[in-house]
Amino acid sequence: MKKVFAREQLCINCRLCEVYCKTAHSKSKDVVEAYKSEIPAPVARISVYGDKTASVAVNCRHCDDPACVKACITGAMQKDKKTGIVSVDENKCIGCMTCLAVCPIGCIKTAKTAVKCDLCQGEEPACVKNCPNRALLWLEAGGAK
Amino acid sequence: MKYLIIGASAAGLATAESIRKTDADGEITILTKESYLPYSRPSISYYLKGVVDEKSMYLRKPSYYKEKNINIITDAAVTKINPEKKTVKAGRKEYSYDKLCLATGSKPFVPPMKNVEGCKNALTFLDLAATKAVKKAAKADTRAVVIGAGLIGMKAAEGLSKICASVDVVELAPRVLPSILDEKSAKTVKAHLEKNGLRFHLGNTVTEAESKNGKITSVILKNGDVLPCDLLILAVGVRPETELAEKAGLEVNRGIITNPQTMQTSDESIYAAGDCTVSVDMLDGSNKIIALWPNAVQQGTAAGNQMAGGELTTGNTYSVNAIDFYGLRICTCGLINAQGEQYSDRIKAEGSSYKRLVFEGSNLVGFVLINSSVNAGIYTSLISDKIDLSTLEGDIMDDPSLFMFSKEVRTTKLTGGMAL
Repeated sequence: MKKVFAREQLCINCRLCEVYCKTAHSKSKDVVEAYKSEIPAPVARISVYGDKTASVAVNCRHCDDPACVKACITGAMQKDKKTGIVSVDENKCIGCMTCLAVCPIGCIKTAKTAVKCDLCQGEEPACVKNCPNRALLWLEAGGAK
Repeated sequence: MKYLIIGASAAGLATAESIRKTDADGEITILTKESYLPYSRPSISYYLKGVVDEKSMYLRKPSYYKEKNINIITDAAVTKINPEKKTVKAGRKEYSYDKLCLATGSKPFVPPMKNVEGCKNALTFLDLAATKAVKKAAKADTRAVVIGAGLIGMKAAEGLSKICASVDVVELAPRVLPSILDEKSAKTVKAHLEKNGLRFHLGNTVTEAESKNGKITSVILKNGDVLPCDLLILAVGVRPETELAEKAGLEVNRGIITNPQTMQTSDESIYAAGDCTVSVDMLDGSNKIIALWPNAVQQGTAAGNQMAGGELTTGNTYSVNAIDFYGLRICTCGLINAQGEQYSDRIKAEGSSYKRLVFEGSNLVGFVLINSSVNAGIYTSLISDKIDLSTLEGDIMDDPSLFMFSKEVRTTKLTGGMAL
């Protein structure tokens, strides 16, 4: 499956991936509205950690054997058999955040329910598309584009 | 190969799914005494509150079981296991097995109280059927009393407080949520719960009830207080459901004894997983009952894998729990109330947020996070992977992230070692 891979050496800590992720997961798909007026506020599913000297964007690894899926107490967190995407069914999720408590990557966000990277449902992810320094790549786990 | 599983919650379902991964053709049957397909037990309080409906509580779609060829028989209460004949009896039917897994879970523990047993409005709160009874009994003018301020009791109290006129909680321990909170954090949580209308009677217990026509009207506490009561919830605690195992002659000490790697009981054809077993906590080597969902799933997965002849899976056993009350998020892991010279701790408390980390030497062995659970799983991984904290960067008390690890380690975690 294709996932988002970060090249730390190229990350310039601009956080545009967060901006475009939040926008892509907003109702309006508009940057300003996503940040200023939408209720509930959309949540970025990718986070940049570090500072100006070294930084890297972290989002879900869509693990082969995901701890979050195993720990989910409602069956809301599932790994799609065909696409490999790990996603939350927000209708089933009760927001207990057990998934967050077991995720070793630290990529699950808290809102009314758990929120996480859905790899833009298989389209080229917004974070990758908008990374100005090509620090984010959308690749097969083996490295192929 | 004929596989039989008793119990259809977290451990039972995980066992079945794990068997199917290794054995595509074996006959898998799950017997459950409940009337429902596998559903989320922890969701019952959300069902009581009306936040989730019954349909969204089911862990899998009904069609899933057909797809996976897993046969679930509901309303099948097993009364006897015959390990010599390799059969179990449920009602008038007898089921044979090659490999059996006991995933019988917990049963409510009800301490002796005068005049409570048999009263129509004294209910437990552990499964969907019981929750339906509670929901039916809880009205806008109901004065509810919950005995037990553990996870189950507090979730019942929270749910009832959205419906009932008043909710009183009686707890023998001097603090709320004694199994997951330390003394200091329990104070913060209690204040929050009281702000939301719950009344507490800590260090106290119900000794007796007064009733009229088989219905409790009030309860009398140990200190002499009398609480008017239209609905009594019995949530003192749970015990492993080990009756079948004991009658079958399996080794039981509080919970069913298993080999922690294979989940085999003292009978090599019988396995056990989940709340009915005794676990060995990897953090202090102690035997304890870890009645928590992730542990049940892990044990079920290990059991199923072994039953189907798969390879040994190594899992780390420790407690991890996340729960919320009226928007207050509590996340705990590992040794929270560790006693001994080898342990130290650090606390950071600001407003409604509280963070306590427990250390043993240079390892993290436990945490309590209240409204501060950002990336809590990173802490959990430090505990389960026994990471030497001196290899990390930054202050461990800050919000954890992959950036705590050295560049090499965090890059490997993100890329799986692929050169980019």
